Amino acid sequence: MPIDASYAELLEANNLIRRASDINWWLCQYRTVQESALFPVPAYMMLSYLNAYYRYPELVRRIEEVMPAEELGDRARESCTTLMSTPIGWCLHNFYLLGREYLMDLGVVRPTDAIEDALTVLSFWKRFMLAYHRNDAHLTTGDFGNRSQVFPERQLQVFESDAIGCQTGDRLQTALAQFVATAAQYALLAHCESRPGIQNEGPYQVGANQMMVRFFLNLAEGDFPWLDGVASDVPYANLVIPVVLKETRVTMLDDWSMFDCDPPYDPAHVAAVGLYTSDYLCDGFKPVGMGSADELAATFEDLRDVLRSATNELWKVFASFTRDQMLDAGALVYYSLPRDLAHTAGIYNQDDWFTLDERVQEFRPLFNDEYARDALGELLGYLSYAHQQSHEYTMARYSDLPRHMESLIPYSVLVTDEFTTTSGPIRPGSTSLPPKTALWSTTRGKLPIDEVNELARSFRPRSMEVPYRFLDDEWVKTHYRDEAADELYRLAQTGSRTLEGRGAGLLREDLPEPKG
Amino acid sequence: MGAQDTAPRRNKWGGEHATPTVKAFHESVRARMADRFAATGKRWEEVVFDHGFGLTRSDYAEVEAELLATGYRFDHSAQISVVENPEKYKAPAEATGPSIDATGDGQITVVGYGDNALPLDNDVEGIVRFVDTVDKVFEMMDTGVPPGTIAVIEDAGGTLTAPILEEFAGMLCKGGTIKSHLGVLSREFRIPCLMAVELGPVVDGDRVRLESTKPPPDTSAEAARTAITDRARIWKIG
Repeated sequence: MPIDASYAELLEANNLIRRASDINWWLCQYRTVQESALFPVPAYMMLSYLNAYYRYPELVRRIEEVMPAEELGDRARESCTTLMSTPIGWCLHNFYLLGREYLMDLGVVRPTDAIEDALTVLSFWKRFMLAYHRNDAHLTTGDFGNRSQVFPERQLQVFESDAIGCQTGDRLQTALAQFVATAAQYALLAHCESRPGIQNEGPYQVGANQMMVRFFLNLAEGDFPWLDGVASDVPYANLVIPVVLKETRVTMLDDWSMFDCDPPYDPAHVAAVGLYTSDYLCDGFKPVGMGSADELAATFEDLRDVLRSATNELWKVFASFTRDQMLDAGALVYYSLPRDLAHTAGIYNQDDWFTLDERVQEFRPLFNDEYARDALGELLGYLSYAHQQSHEYTMARYSDLPRHMESLIPYSVLVTDEFTTTSGPIRPGSTSLPPKTALWSTTRGKLPIDEVNELARSFRPRSMEVPYRFLDDEWVKTHYRDEAADELYRLAQTGSRTLEGRGAGLLREDLPEPKG
Repeated sequence: MGAQDTAPRRNKWGGEHATPTVKAFHESVRARMADRFAATGKRWEEVVFDHGFGLTRSDYAEVEAELLATGYRFDHSAQISVVENPEKYKAPAEATGPSIDATGDGQITVVGYGDNALPLDNDVEGIVRFVDTVDKVFEMMDTGVPPGTIAVIEDAGGTLTAPILEEFAGMLCKGGTIKSHLGVLSREFRIPCLMAVELGPVVDGDRVRLESTKPPPDTSAEAARTAITDRARIWKIG
């Protein structure tokens, strides 16, 4: 019996695979080298890919039974969760596909296996991304020529107008620079030497200047068991920092959320800054410490002290871990990057996201440091796995090589019975990590997970209500005098120190404190 | 479409593993999987995701043991790996081992090169201290980082030195690129830093100068590996 999928579905899936494969090679070649003397990074990355292969399809199906991918993408755009360019845009489908590619080279699966699983993950990913990026109407940051403009005008006006000006070397600019450095370091450590806790969106044109929106994620006690206790004083899970940059052009923001500037990024070029928090239980963005320049500077200084202390305590925790614990922590950070999908849908389960499936645990003895490094290097860099080879006339995008990182689905599944549909249901998992004990820090307070889920299930942001959800900038273009447009803008202006209640008719020149 | 083939399927267009460990491991796993599959007497599609089909933890442990039995020992990247299983790994290399020859007049000698992660208006001087182990970081957390420390760091990550990094006067990182996490942190903290450093005969306590005024290398796709003349120099003073 042929597979229950159309030719068109397979064509689209293979297009998504090839796009991912192309951009991945470029990223891996030119954007960074990730290594650590503390964590066995390549080993945990390989384990995470395997867990993604065996678990993402069912988790995605369960999530979509509660909330469609398009709504999840819409919600992610209107608040701050981990559902951003790197954790979803790059990780969700790629982790699954890299797990598939690795298992194919081992002879554990074939390209014709678990076809419906692959289609499920790719379809979900695409629909989420189209909704998340609907304002710039691209699929990914890379697809947009290494740029990301997810926010609508109403949010950008608030970010710009509320941003507080600073001067070279003044207290606010200094406090911001020191906070960002400390937060970046803490986020790298909390994510076991990976960078998904540091995200960026932009650039946005702000007169003669440009604005980037910077994000620091998963800072407080939450899903990561290793933050229990050490992050008890961290008051916000996520922080959102719009920064207006003068005399600086942002030349590139890649799918790993790293941005380049010309001239190189310099804190002295920050002309104005804001600070917000948000999460999957929050309607939009809540200002933090933005009453005045001094209050904002003091807030950055206090947060910096808290994060610096947490960094020291967390480092001691990790330094006491066994290799198995470090391996689990890193693998589960990576694998669980899409977990805010489950939080947003109100069906988060710690075991789903913070255990390694029993099928994955079988592979653990393979992953000594050298094998993991080289298996990863061949998978992402050399492209020397058998299935990665194409015919001799092939010239891959970027590399010109007859190789592709991630293999397509053979169309033969439409006409033969040589295929399987799914790797099957999630099996029991385990971890060597200490159990999660602390409450979850959210914008509604510190709560047990059952209550967090219950709140999420009953929460519907105003911007997601009809008709507001579908009133976009294209509609505003010709309806900015409508009451519905005013109300839409007032939602974003709630809590704004400069634009509260101002409505939809504003242009940049009307903003009380233009920075451009 | 023909009889079910139980042998491992070869790719028409080849594919040779680039590294010996992956070649050894994957050939062993593929052979074991083929044997396991042939023994079932069933079609691939009937067994591939069956509970109980496929290799187990002990099978994968044997794959590694086969290579170790040849006398092969692995490189390590995380210190915890070699601490817990020293018998599996090569002995750690001497951290102070020179990778280039020194040139100069004996008073100011070029002892290394690196890619400048943070271009500044002035070069930077300080005292070399190797910070390459968890124990060393603990020690510096207890006693404080001596002022003027130019930390020599083996890996390009930002986590090993996280509690003390902010106190360094400069960093010489033997790995990574200016895009690596340590390079990112050097720019955020405004700590002078050279990445992918090739270092000559330098020991703890030597005074060095970093050419922090050198422009960063071009990391765009079109750029070839940074020419030596485009790399920042490291001088040993005295």
